[in-house]
Amino acid sequence: MLTTKGSPSPISELNVDDSPEREALRSTVSKLARSYGRTYLKEVVKEQRQPTELWSDLGKAGFLGVHLPEEYGGGGGGMADLAIVIEENAAAGIPLFMIVISPSIAGPILAAHGTDEQKATWLPGIASGELKVAFSITEPDAGLNTHNITTTATPRPGGGWTLNGQKYWTSGADEADALLVVARSDEPDDRGRTRLSLFLVPTDTPGIVMQEIDSALTLPEKQFVIFYDNVEVLEHNIIGDEHEGLRQVFAGLNPERIAAAAVANGIGRYAIEAGTNYAANRQVWKTPIGAHQGVAHPLARSHIEVQSSRLLAAHAAQLFDAGHDAGEASNMAKFCAGQAATNALDRAIQVHGGNGLSNEFGLSDLWFVARMFRTAPVSEEMILNHVAQHSLGLPKSY
Amino acid sequence: MNIVVCVKQIPDPAAPQSLEAGSHTLDRSGKLILDDSDAYGVEMALQLAEQAGGGEVTLVSMAPNGETAGLRTALAMGAAKAILVSDDALKGSDALGTAKVLAAAIGRVGADLIIAATESSDGYTGTTPVQVAELLGLPSITFAKSVAIDGGTVKVDRQTEAGYDEVTSPLPAVVTVTAGVVEPRYPSFKGIMAAKSKPIETLSVADLGLDGGQVGAAGGRQVITSVDEAEARNAGEIVVDEGDGAQRIVTFLENLKVI
Repeated sequence: MLTTKGSPSPISELNVDDSPEREALRSTVSKLARSYGRTYLKEVVKEQRQPTELWSDLGKAGFLGVHLPEEYGGGGGGMADLAIVIEENAAAGIPLFMIVISPSIAGPILAAHGTDEQKATWLPGIASGELKVAFSITEPDAGLNTHNITTTATPRPGGGWTLNGQKYWTSGADEADALLVVARSDEPDDRGRTRLSLFLVPTDTPGIVMQEIDSALTLPEKQFVIFYDNVEVLEHNIIGDEHEGLRQVFAGLNPERIAAAAVANGIGRYAIEAGTNYAANRQVWKTPIGAHQGVAHPLARSHIEVQSSRLLAAHAAQLFDAGHDAGEASNMAKFCAGQAATNALDRAIQVHGGNGLSNEFGLSDLWFVARMFRTAPVSEEMILNHVAQHSLGLPKSY
Repeated sequence: MNIVVCVKQIPDPAAPQSLEAGSHTLDRSGKLILDDSDAYGVEMALQLAEQAGGGEVTLVSMAPNGETAGLRTALAMGAAKAILVSDDALKGSDALGTAKVLAAAIGRVGADLIIAATESSDGYTGTTPVQVAELLGLPSITFAKSVAIDGGTVKVDRQTEAGYDEVTSPLPAVVTVTAGVVEPRYPSFKGIMAAKSKPIETLSVADLGLDGGQVGAAGGRQVITSVDEAEARNAGEIVVDEGDGAQRIVTFLENLKVI
């Protein structure tokens, strides 16, 4: 006889929620996300559409904007709250990548550097999920070297700018209402460095052409190459100060990494939950396979990795919310979460034997989504460079 | 329109459960959460108060160790305040003992309507709400699948095995609702944050003017003498269709004398 054993959602007693309200937020989001479940997301991806129903439920309850200012429709909480929302969805088998983009990157950048009018126009919609803003920074020839960004913003005589250039890996651009575009706004200095500006460009502006990238990611969000061909940007669509784009983008980068870590940690928990339930119930000879240490230890190891990663991510969110420098912690959290999630998924697939490769079990189709977090939003190598240089004080390599 | 909703805080059904040695009652010493079956009553009450254009929804609960986590969930949904009766003397209460406590607590509020779930998810007696009604001298309607207020009366479609009865009663009254009477809302982030500052009045048995001998194990009329493991169900027979599947099903049904 089969009995159902195993925890419904391995969180452990390492309690990362520091208030009854955060515990309530976690249990509420968990319940909502699990009412949809992995099957829902698989259907959405198969039908090549967005998870509109879940997105709208999350938005209406205020969960997409928990971290945004109350005066602009947000919840007045912090990234620690948003990380709970993100992680619980992913732990239910629903990694919502759009939360990492629109609320996590665009939200904080606009809140920190937007004008009152821009904030009033965009933040309530971002918080409710009715508006989405994608982030267009990465370029084919620049990678993460922002000094090599070649998309240019040329001032127009009558005011405003004209954008020309090409971006790639702009996620979710087709479903976005606007693109947050990073472009060089003046000539390089004598050291070859350029100054950047940040623009909010409605996606229906003439001259924007999107070309989908054929990726292995089984996500509702598609990836795009975007061509900006004489795209006219109005004067009021610059974010913050001209030439200060790079500094301003940083307001969104630590939240992006904290959010990415939360997705990966959720995937890790999802994989461990699936692996544990299978190991507790699958019986080939006399005992469930989970009684064999060769099966149990990899899952236990992953549990330790994922829980450590969650603690680091919670610490990064806490630093960010308190207004401290969260750069090192956010990057380290993303690094650990990407590895912990990939390891957990790999081990959960292995525990499932042949079934691990069946789409019915909802694991192998997550592989490249989990794997993505070792590469994006910033690669492990760039994080190691940062840690080597800034945390350890070693010489700069580039 | 002031509505009281009786809510129970129970051990998380997803977590392992255990019975206390000796009394055979459910171990409630750990963290308790809002019984899912009470979310329907809370939602119904919120909607009725909204439709009436005013009034408050008050929660009434009895739980050990001053537990408020489940009450906070219902407050986050939109209830205005809560009364919690928590007292060591209540340990081991049976349904009637619980009803005495809830009735006394409700008596302090003054409600136009009292809503409860048909039964709790951990006790399943389904008797407490009607006992509360009897103690308060109020009419009760059970198994509501829809509830509407019309002036001084409540109109209920009462689920039966054959269909439903249309029942009307003067207010105040006690109504028990089934899962499905309404779809409970998820607490919003603002609701969760607001619940933090909503009042929860914690009362003891003495505060309610009850005698300790009437409630808890001391006043209980029900004794659990022993508990047995539920009989394990045998695995079903799997018939592999080798061309004779239909015939084997017919034979199986004939053996059961159903055809």
